[in-house]
Parts: sequence; structure tokens; C-alpha cells
Amino acid sequence: MADSLHNSRIHKWIASSPPVVWGIRQLRELIIGALRQGPIPQHVAFVMDGNRRFARNHHIETVEGHNLGFESLARILEVCYKTGVKVVTIYAFSIENFKRSKHEVDALMSMAKVKLEQLSEHGALLDRYGASIRILGQRSLVKPDVLEAIDKAVALTAGNKKAILNVCFPYTSRDEITTAVRKTVETYSKPIGGPSTPSKRPFSETHITQHIRQQMLQTVPEDMPEFQSSRSASPSSSKDNSSAGDGEQSSTTSTAINPSDHDDYGGTAPVYRDPETITAETLTDNMLTAGAPPLDLLIRTSGVKRLSDFMLWQCHEKTSIVFLDCLWPEFDLWHFLPVLVEWQWQKKKLHEQERGRGRHGID
Amino acid sequence: MASTGISPREAAVLRRGKLDGKPLSAEEREKLLKPYLPEDLPPSTSPSRGASPTRRPKNRRASTSRRRRPGLIRHGLHVLIYAIISFLFSVFFRFRHAFRHVRNKIVALLKYHHRTPEFIQRDTRHLERLPKHLSVILQFYEGDEDQGSAGLEGLVNDVGEIAAWTAAAGIPFLSVYERTGKLKNYIQQTHTSISSTLEAYFGPRRTPTLSVRAPHLQSYSPPPTPDPQDDTSPTSNGHPSPKTSPKPPRQHLTVLLLSAEDGRDTLVDLTKTLSEMAQNGALQPEQIDAKLIDSELCEAVSGEPDLLVLFQPSVCLKGYPPWQLRLTEIFHLPDNKGVNYQVFLRALHAYAKMEMRLGR
Repeated sequence: MADSLHNSRIHKWIASSPPVVWGIRQLRELIIGALRQGPIPQHVAFVMDGNRRFARNHHIETVEGHNLGFESLARILEVCYKTGVKVVTIYAFSIENFKRSKHEVDALMSMAKVKLEQLSEHGALLDRYGASIRILGQRSLVKPDVLEAIDKAVALTAGNKKAILNVCFPYTSRDEITTAVRKTVETYSKPIGGPSTPSKRPFSETHITQHIRQQMLQTVPEDMPEFQSSRSASPSSSKDNSSAGDGEQSSTTSTAINPSDHDDYGGTAPVYRDPETITAETLTDNMLTAGAPPLDLLIRTSGVKRLSDFMLWQCHEKTSIVFLDCLWPEFDLWHFLPVLVEWQWQKKKLHEQERGRGRHGID
Repeated sequence: MASTGISPREAAVLRRGKLDGKPLSAEEREKLLKPYLPEDLPPSTSPSRGASPTRRPKNRRASTSRRRRPGLIRHGLHVLIYAIISFLFSVFFRFRHAFRHVRNKIVALLKYHHRTPEFIQRDTRHLERLPKHLSVILQFYEGDEDQGSAGLEGLVNDVGEIAAWTAAAGIPFLSVYERTGKLKNYIQQTHTSISSTLEAYFGPRRTPTLSVRAPHLQSYSPPPTPDPQDDTSPTSNGHPSPKTSPKPPRQHLTVLLLSAEDGRDTLVDLTKTLSEMAQNGALQPEQIDAKLIDSELCEAVSGEPDLLVLFQPSVCLKGYPPWQLRLTEIFHLPDNKGVNYQVFLRALHAYAKMEMRLGR
């Protein structure tokens, strides 16, 4: 026992001596640079599980475990972005986590606040190197002071195009899917044309409707708000306008309907979009991760082999899901490296197989 | 923390947010972070703020000529190391694959069910808990290069075997996911095949009653052949232990066939229906919540499986219905390919051991 303690002290001393630290630093950089040479997943998701078990195993406080977890996150983000991952999504807090003790929830919230505030102090640095932060989840469940810090950090980093960090804050995937369905239903249940008097102009109503439908098909997700906001006079949509039509009104796609079309257009019953035009893409674009590349790799630590309501919609098709036994605070490049290399290996094998099949087909 | 390449002093400073007892200011932290930031800025970055854009291009031009050579060497080094890493891991993966393959074969030899439900019961009896709803993902192999499980016949055989193990372990509900949905077109044949496999396992006296269904399709469960000494109550109360009672009630097994269209497409269909209802004024969008969707999907497709067993070398869900996957325990045996009993058994063991925290 004493011997092992002694040994570990020597280990520590050696490991913390400057040349060794420098050497490891260089080695890390080298490996990261080397990994860049192969295919790199565009979108990686992490379930940061095991902070509390780590704390329990090491006899430290739960909150300290979460703090170490945050450090681990910082390390792994560095690795991810340096290797060229575009989007990282992390499961920071589940809606179910509100069931935990108030002490822990509060500590987690204040940690999020402090870290985001610290982040906001480095505006110039973030501009040069930073990723843009997005918070996915139920904002209504977050306390106003934390929300303020979130908004500040999000606004500050919004201009960074290099990479994205999605933080799922009070999030569950079912909630996300439900919201996406609700949003879709909302947009489809708003009349796209108000009733007007039948006219004798040389335009055919059906033709215009068709034309509009076509326009919509091409641009379903982005320009929905425009439709609603350009129609503030129509009776049923006046209420929801304010919530739906934020921020996107300046986009150029709003030519689908302009005021001059209004008069030619009509019928007595309100015209709706055809629900048959709803596709899986419509829903995908209404998910919180809209616009992100498909999820390539999902990693869950601490040996739990469940998704626990995370990224269900995003990960159930081609995503490689990896369950690791190490706890999140221990997770580092050295755990990530084999996963990444195996992913690259599988990717290469898949590619070869496809190519082989293609050649087969030609023969 | 030795492997991070961050010296303990820096780590402590960053962790506590204090430098020599004083709180760390933003500039000091930036100075500390500097060595860890990437050196080379890709040309695409467009600084949106600050006065740097005027200065930076000049700096870069001056330094490129000096930097190019080391950059080239560094690049070459990276390529080399990448090749080395790929090679080493590729060797490692192959060895691991071989090792696991051999080990799995040995375990498969030791733990064989001999097509006897008693053996399976012996293997699963001591488990503390069993899933009520077991789900498996199977794959339809086009060609016949994969040993024995190719084509529709192989698939149906696999389903039959798994159904027999499930019934023997006392699990009342099995859902089988196969992406293309080939099985759904042959529900009747599948039923016949599974029944004959069950009979081969259990013998004609104790064969569990079976119903096979698929979402949106009629359930197929022909009336059981009249059995005078059996009261044919299709209960699902677990193990029919033959020792305790001479006339055990017949066990019932439900097999549900799923395919890719029960996943996203069903959710899309639900959205379409809800949109139509909203357009007709039968529903307000605010009324849509997780409970509504859950109950609809539960009825249309299935509930949440407790345990999902993959018979593939790695975890890839291939379009399995997403909504139902929420808390499902996912089991796969690394580098295993194809259906076999030990995967099934190990999955049950893993399930019995795991703990459910539900976010707490």
C-alpha cells in the first residue's frame, strides 16, 4: 500500500515535470494532426455520463465531479475542433434531471452560468477560434439569470461559422420531436390565402395556387414565417405572428407571395398547404438540430447502453453509436482516439464495399 | 491528469479561477490559454469584429515563406503518423476480431440450447428480471455468401429461432425489426414457420400459442387446435414450469414485425393527420404533446421495448422506430455477426444487471 502510494507520487512528479508536460503536449498535437488526414465525422454527439459515479469513486463531492466533467469536455472539444469536426452536440442536462436533488440542480445551473459568463469575457478570442454556441432545449424551464447568460454567450458567438457547439440544456428527444411536430402542424394549419372576392382578371386561381405550392415545396422550412407575417391581415394568424416571424424576414425567398398577388387570389374557403407535402425532411428541419450535418458518431460514456432520450430522431439511421466503459471525467484523447480510428476504419471498409459493389454492378 | 499535457499549476489556476490567490482576469486567462489555441488560421475565417483584419494579412504574408518548410515537414509527419496509426489499429482490430470470434465460438459451444426449452430456462431462471418486451434487429442478406442466414428463408428461420428462445425464457412479447419489411408481406408463412420451430422446441403438448402481427396489418393468430385437456387460456404469465403442475396453462407469444416505415414515416403520417385535423379545426396545435404522440404511436406501432438486441458487429440502428427507443437498453456483442443463442443469452444477463435511474 505504502509502496504503491510512493510509486504514484513518483509518477505524479515525473508526469508533472515540464519536459514531460511539453512532450505530451506535442504528442497530442501530433496525433490530432495525424487524425486530420483521414475521414473525420462531421457531427459528433456526447452523452456526458459518469460525473457522479466518478465523484463517488474518488470520494469527492458530486459538484466537483461535474466540474471535472466540464474540464473533460473542454479537452475533448479541443480535440474535436482541431481534428475538423464541424458540429459537436452534448447532452448537458435532461428535463428528467430536474428530478435530482435541488442542491445538485442549482449547482449545475450556476456552473453553466459561470462558465458561459467566463466565455463571454473573451469576445475577440472567440471570434478568432471559437465555435458558435447553440442551446437546444426547453427555455421555459431555465431560470431567468441563467437564461440571460445563455443569451449573451449565444449572441456573442453567433457570428462564428467554423464550428458549432450544440448544448442540449434542458432537453429530451421526445420533447424535441413533439415540438417539431407541433411546429409543423402550426405552419400547416395556417391559411396561406385569405378569402377575397372572385375577380375577372386574366389570372387563373388554380394556376397561382399551384405556383405557390411549388414555391413552398422548394422552400418549405425557411420561409414559413414570411407567409405568416405577410398575411397579418388574415384573421386567424394574427395571434401567432409575433412568435413565428422573428428574424428571418429579411431572407430573399419571400417572393413567393407579394402583395400584388393578393387580389388575384382567392376563393371563399381558406386555402391551406397540402399536408401530403410533409416529409421526414420537414420534420428534420423543425428539429432543434436543423441545418446540422447528419449525426455521424454518438458516444456515451460510463458503460450505460441506452440513449436516454437523446438525439433519437438524429441517431436512429446511420449513426455509429459507441458505448464506452470509462467515466466522463476520465474521457480524453486516449479514449477518443481508438473510437475515432475505428470509425475511420469502418468508414473505409464501407467505402471499399460500396466501390466493390459498384464494380460488381458494372460487370 | 498526466496525459493531458497541461501542467498542474495551470490546471489549478484554470480550475479555481485564481492566480496566486487573486481572481483570474479575462486577459490573464487568455494568456494562459494561448499555447493551446490552434496556430494556423484557415483562410476562410472572417473576423467580424475588431481591428485585426487590416493587420493580419500582412503578418501572414511575411511569415508564410518562413513557415512553409516546417509546415510541409509537419504535414508529412502527420501523414506518416496517420499511416502508422491506421496500420497499427487495423492489425489490432483484426486480431481483436479473430480473438472475439474464437471466444464467441467457444462460448457458443459451451452454452448451447440443444433446441430444448429446459436448457434455456435453466440459463435464464436465476435472472432477477426479464424484459417484458424484447426487440431484435435483423438484417436481410441479399446474397448467399453469409452462412445460412441469407435470403428470406434464412430470415424466417432466424425469427423462428429467436421466437423459440424468447418463449422459452418466458418473455411474452417479441418485436422483430427488419429494415426492408420483407417479412411483413409473408405474415402467414412467417407464422407457420415460427409455429413449427416452436413445436420443434416445445413438443406438440406445450407449444405456446402464437400471434404474429405487423403495424397497420391484421394480426394473424389462427385459432389453436382444440385440445381437450387444456383450457387454452392464452395467458402470458411467464414460465410454464412443467414440474409444478401437470397441466400448465399455455404460454402466449406475440411477435410483432417492424420495418423502416414504422419509424420516421409513421411519425410523418401522424403529423399529416394532425395537420389535417388542425386545418379542419378539430385540434389546436397547442394540444399536441408528448403524451398524445406517445399514445398514438403506442397503438399504431408498439410500446417501448425494454431490451434491444443487435446481432451486428457494431451499434447502428438502421432506421429503427426512434420514438420507442427512449430508454431501451441496447445490447450488441462486438464483432459478432449473425443470429446466435449466446448473444441472446448475454443480452438477457446484461439486462438483468443494469440499473435504471430515470434521470435521477
